Amino acid sequence: MNLKETNRSAAVVGAGMTLFASRLQETGKEMTWEAAKMALDQAGLTLADIDAVILGTAPDAFDGVHKKGEWLLDGAGGVGKPYMRVYTGGGTAVMAPIAGWWHVASGMYDKVLVLCEEKMSSVQPHAQSAFGHIWDPILDRPLKPNLVWIFSMEMQRYMHKYDVSYEDIASVAVKNKRNAVGHPCAQLADPDITLEDVINSEPMALPVRRLDISPPSDGASAVVIVRGDMAHDLTEIPVFIDGVGWCIDTTMWTNRDLAFPEFVVKAAKMAYDMAGIDNPKKEIDVAEPYDPFDYKEVQHLEALGLFEPGEAARATREGKTQRDGELPVCPSGGLLGVGNPIAATLGIKVGELFWQLSGQAGVRQVKKDIRTGVTQAWGDLMQFSSVLVMRRH
Amino acid sequence: MGFTDRFQKTTEPRHRLGAMEADHYIYSAGIAGEKFFTALRDRGIILASHCKACAITYVPSRLFCERCFAELTDSDDREVGPEGEVATFTLVRQDSAGNALPEPEILAVIRFGHETTGFLHKLGEVSPEKVETGMKVEAVLKPQEEREARITDIAYFRPVKK
Ligand SMILES: [Zn+2]
Repeated sequence: MNLKETNRSAAVVGAGMTLFASRLQETGKEMTWEAAKMALDQAGLTLADIDAVILGTAPDAFDGVHKKGEWLLDGAGGVGKPYMRVYTGGGTAVMAPIAGWWHVASGMYDKVLVLCEEKMSSVQPHAQSAFGHIWDPILDRPLKPNLVWIFSMEMQRYMHKYDVSYEDIASVAVKNKRNAVGHPCAQLADPDITLEDVINSEPMALPVRRLDISPPSDGASAVVIVRGDMAHDLTEIPVFIDGVGWCIDTTMWTNRDLAFPEFVVKAAKMAYDMAGIDNPKKEIDVAEPYDPFDYKEVQHLEALGLFEPGEAARATREGKTQRDGELPVCPSGGLLGVGNPIAATLGIKVGELFWQLSGQAGVRQVKKDIRTGVTQAWGDLMQFSSVLVMRRH
Repeated sequence: MGFTDRFQKTTEPRHRLGAMEADHYIYSAGIAGEKFFTALRDRGIILASHCKACAITYVPSRLFCERCFAELTDSDDREVGPEGEVATFTLVRQDSAGNALPEPEILAVIRFGHETTGFLHKLGEVSPEKVETGMKVEAVLKPQEEREARITDIAYFRPVKK
């Protein structure tokens, strides 16, 4: 890999996102257009300025339309332009902007629009009905798996291997749902939530309880990525994409080390190497790891090299990852607080780092001076990770 | 993903109820899968494939090693179990529709030794509070006449009696 020899730099100059909620009134196209318009407006650009469009969206089964990429085309503004769909499950949220980055870094395009959409309320009776078909049809499906119980087994393995307490992990859910207060797109923000609320919430597949999980949602998000040397003309504080990485583990999920996601380490190493980061603990000022479950945030923080294996949960309970802590983690409120429209979480990952690092995060703004951030998403059959390092130059 | 969302009204102008009509699919067990399920049904054994180069044993058996791409043939077959160890587990309290289950279901990843891959199945003949990571379990097969070459030919795994 030639991580230091990409053609040119690329920066985010605008971002947008819609309300995350069950939105049966709007079509996916309408939500996508809404997010795209916000991002273009923030960058001071129009659709005519855009050279190429990337659309990220997860299973077709959610919206109930095959070839969702083509179906969402008009809302994405892709008509008459180079256009492609990116799909790596939940990992799409950070993989779609990585595709946007390579469109620009390769030298092929100057201004690229990246959108992510998900509409999970269409599938009835519940998004679980679609998730039921992601498993191996011969080995897994006869045992009637659902997503909650495989995550539960991962969490159990993690707690066992590193001797981590459930209460320490549950403190992630409290932090993120509180952080989401004041986010204009949030679905589950709760200023009064306590650790007891999480611990006493409904048992689903133990150790996982209802409040350990982010809710399904509808929404769309967008970012505009442009050539680095154009970025300062378009916005006061552009945020540069200085490192990208991605990696996938075996599809046979029972064969993985369920306690420690080695594939996230590999994706992070690629991104850190490209960004020239030797010591992430010292050099990363803010993190937006993927947090669909509370234990995933701590596992991801550890694999991103920001905490030692088994230590991130306790650090969370001690307050180190609060917005005003040593390392602010998920200042957006994350998937646990804002909501989890799979691919559209782009807005609370890459979008949030753009707003945070350019000082535009409003009530969510991290107070101390932050310059370098890392964000990461996780998906496919719980096996894929995409990582972005973003910086204010 | 909470389970509590309700069915939506679909009689208003803003909605239309529809389906993606594919009725069902035929899923292939594969060359190695067919061998595995035949051995399970007819001989009551759990068949695995061993890659010498990678020192890894795939459960169930596989046609190739996903790490080095070697073809795994009959000479690479290994029989594993019926005893194994719980690598992790979950106590399922709700079905996929969100209804509370009368008794928790116990699902586990089982390993048949250090260099084998994990195997997903249910646990039985054990109360939920007794289950722990590392416990020794053994496969309980359905009687031969009830077996139909499916993963459910193994009824469940139960603790090994000391
Ligand atoms: Zn091999």
